[in-house]
Amino acid sequence: MNISFSERLLGPLNGIPGVDLSMKAMSFWERMSPPEDITTNGHLIHWLFNYTTYVNIFWFALVCIGLFGFSYLYSQKRHKIALYTHGNERKHLMLTALIGLGVFLSVDMVITKVSTRDMKETFWNFPTESDVIKVQVLAQQWAWNFRYAGQDGEFNTADDVVQLNNLVIPVGRKVMVQMTSKDVIHAFYLPNAHIKADAIPGRFAKLWFDTNKAGIYEIACAEMCGNHHYLMKAQMTVLPQEEYDRWLKESQDIAIATNDTESIDLRWGWQWGSK
Amino acid sequence: MAFLEQHIHDAPTSFWSKYIVSFDHKVIGKQFLWFGIFWLLVGGLMALLIRWTLAYPGVPFPILGSLLFPHSGGVVPPDTYAMLFTMHGTIMIFFAITPILTGFFGNFCIPLMIGARDMIFPTLNMLSFWFSMLSGALLLASLCLPLGAAAGGWTSYPTLSTNIGQPGLGQTLWTLSLFFFGVSSTMGAVNYITTVITLRAPGMDYFKMPLTIWGLWLTAILNAIFVPVLGAGLLLLTFDRVFGTTFFLSGAAATSGKGDPVLFQHVFWIFGHPEVYILILPAWGIVSDFLSFFSRKPAFGYKMTALSLSAITVLSTVVYGHHMYTTQMSPLLTQSFMTLTMLISIPSAIFFANWLGTLWKGSIRFTSPMLFSLGVVFVFGLGGLTGLYLASTSIDLYLHDTYFVVGHFHYTMAASVLLGGFAGIYFWMPKAFGKMMNETLAKWHFWCTMIPLNGIFTGMMIMGYAGMHRRLYNPFVYEFMHKLMPINTFVTMCAIVMGLAQFLFIYNFFQTVFFSKEKASDNPWEVGTLEWEIPSPAPHYNFKDIPHVKCGPHEYGNPNLKNGKDYQFQTEELVKV
Repeated sequence: MNISFSERLLGPLNGIPGVDLSMKAMSFWERMSPPEDITTNGHLIHWLFNYTTYVNIFWFALVCIGLFGFSYLYSQKRHKIALYTHGNERKHLMLTALIGLGVFLSVDMVITKVSTRDMKETFWNFPTESDVIKVQVLAQQWAWNFRYAGQDGEFNTADDVVQLNNLVIPVGRKVMVQMTSKDVIHAFYLPNAHIKADAIPGRFAKLWFDTNKAGIYEIACAEMCGNHHYLMKAQMTVLPQEEYDRWLKESQDIAIATNDTESIDLRWGWQWGSK
Repeated sequence: MAFLEQHIHDAPTSFWSKYIVSFDHKVIGKQFLWFGIFWLLVGGLMALLIRWTLAYPGVPFPILGSLLFPHSGGVVPPDTYAMLFTMHGTIMIFFAITPILTGFFGNFCIPLMIGARDMIFPTLNMLSFWFSMLSGALLLASLCLPLGAAAGGWTSYPTLSTNIGQPGLGQTLWTLSLFFFGVSSTMGAVNYITTVITLRAPGMDYFKMPLTIWGLWLTAILNAIFVPVLGAGLLLLTFDRVFGTTFFLSGAAATSGKGDPVLFQHVFWIFGHPEVYILILPAWGIVSDFLSFFSRKPAFGYKMTALSLSAITVLSTVVYGHHMYTTQMSPLLTQSFMTLTMLISIPSAIFFANWLGTLWKGSIRFTSPMLFSLGVVFVFGLGGLTGLYLASTSIDLYLHDTYFVVGHFHYTMAASVLLGGFAGIYFWMPKAFGKMMNETLAKWHFWCTMIPLNGIFTGMMIMGYAGMHRRLYNPFVYEFMHKLMPINTFVTMCAIVMGLAQFLFIYNFFQTVFFSKEKASDNPWEVGTLEWEIPSPAPHYNFKDIPHVKCGPHEYGNPNLKNGKDYQFQTEELVKV
């Protein structure tokens, strides 16, 4: 029988419940690529990541050429007499300064500038339109609660739609999230939107994103929040607009019919935008 | 220059006064070394347990598993897992790296390399070691508690680290242990700073000090300023835990007044970011020296290197906010922290250029300290450059708290620091214990460490790029990480290989210290700094006569040197070209 190297490595996992060994064949490139980007702005992060990678490859290649090249050329065997220089002549200082300047221009100037631009124009530029989808998030050990305004359009009223571990949003619309935490610090992490923010008790954090692809995606907690941090997982259901409208209508009806106004589990909301 | 009379007292004779409560900086340095190696093994074992769990969740840990976790049949349980990564971080940073890099090299090298007979405050020095023993004992004790040791991550963010998340005594002991460790570090730091300022031998200007001393000195300055900040944070945390104050409590649990958990993060990282430079600066200094020593060539741009190390030291104090982008500080703060962080790339580029310039047209001897130093250049190159991704606010939105961060900081403050530490241990072994370590084994140790090391930390960065976040007991509950399973197992395999390779060092070290009969010569590496002019091992009170320094520490390959030597001692008049 032909057993591949990776199967051999994974051998001890056979028969452990919950572990799925039937992985599909994948190139290394596919394996290491980030989760599918379903937002319209994720490409900004990717662009800067790739730019940084190219610059890094350039500078690290220089380091390697120096490190391995000089080690080879100037080993004691090949190069018996070392050159006596303290590297403090004018030309040496100029070269060092040039390298410093090169790093400043290629790294500092570009990354800082692009990053600031992206943050200002996009990630910190919270949508002001009235039709933005608003969701309140309460993180707790170890679950995510989501709250939508009910039929009255107001948050923190008796007819709010409250979801456990399932964030339902329509595709193609901007979503704005306000969040806080009940107990310890959590971090709301959307792998497919490539963003995250800390949910901190006593504070409100906010995030916005949009989606361009319907489907079911994962939400994770990225900040260590206790022993079962790894189980603090929720689902993000991205629906086409009509389905979302249907879902919201149904959920609002259910909320009006069944919300128990005395239930503590439902009494965690706040007024939208309040601090 | 201030120059103090340094008296010679009689050498202690009893075992107790010679090896246990010694005032001698060399003995205290070695005590720190033993302390560090012990904790390095403990922390290393924890790393393997963590790695095993990540690659094989639910599979018993081989051999030791059933012994350590009898109740779960050898499988690491989730609560123990959280405790393991918390303790791994704490132990490696505070109890393995700091004692070896600042404790051993600081104590051992500073007086020897600046031409002093001892530290300026020998009693404080001894006290510093015994305080770290106390803090080590507290940490060991916390491992034996029924609710386990601290399990809130080495950063121990409240409110997780308050009674809400960590009800056990473990977290309190952790806090106290680190507080006492801070006391020990501060005492050591004050001692190092003062010793370098006051006890330099006549003629030893700041710009004639070896770069090792520069690194250790800058580390000590950061230590003295910023470790007390951590101490303050830890005290407040202790108050929250023990006396019911609410400095860091907020949300539903803050029933009697409201504090702010983010305050602790600020305090922690005001200390925490300088801390990573506290760890790496000694290694940078050591490497800067060794590259020159073994290229048989003066350090290229010595003054520039010293100044860029100083520039980084200053910059490191104003960049801490880049650890907290996701807490959503004001955009102005966030941008300032990003810009300042990016500025570190310039001095780093300068000393990297100088390192390579030192190798250029040298006559390189590939001894074990040199191999490890070259390893640091490679590894820190990778670690430093990957920091650029994380310093950027927009990329950090995605990469924050992922394995990319884990890979990055292991490259910088674990891999580089440990390789630098090994380089130093191999190098100063003859001066510390009077015997050379086995070179062949040392070179094997290098390659068997270096290759898997890159497998581990590059693998981690790849997983982080693919979105895997930190501190997960079982990453495979997430569907998007299923494809990462083979990479995870590969990283674990590399970790096991690297872990086993450390026994090459342990064997070599113990063999040399306890069994080797071969005496090392006074100057086996043919190096010109002050400590190599005295016998090996360094005698009681180091220098019979305080040396007079006449030239810099890196005088190699001067074409006018006579009598077959290619180097000059620092006490010799510089031969004119």
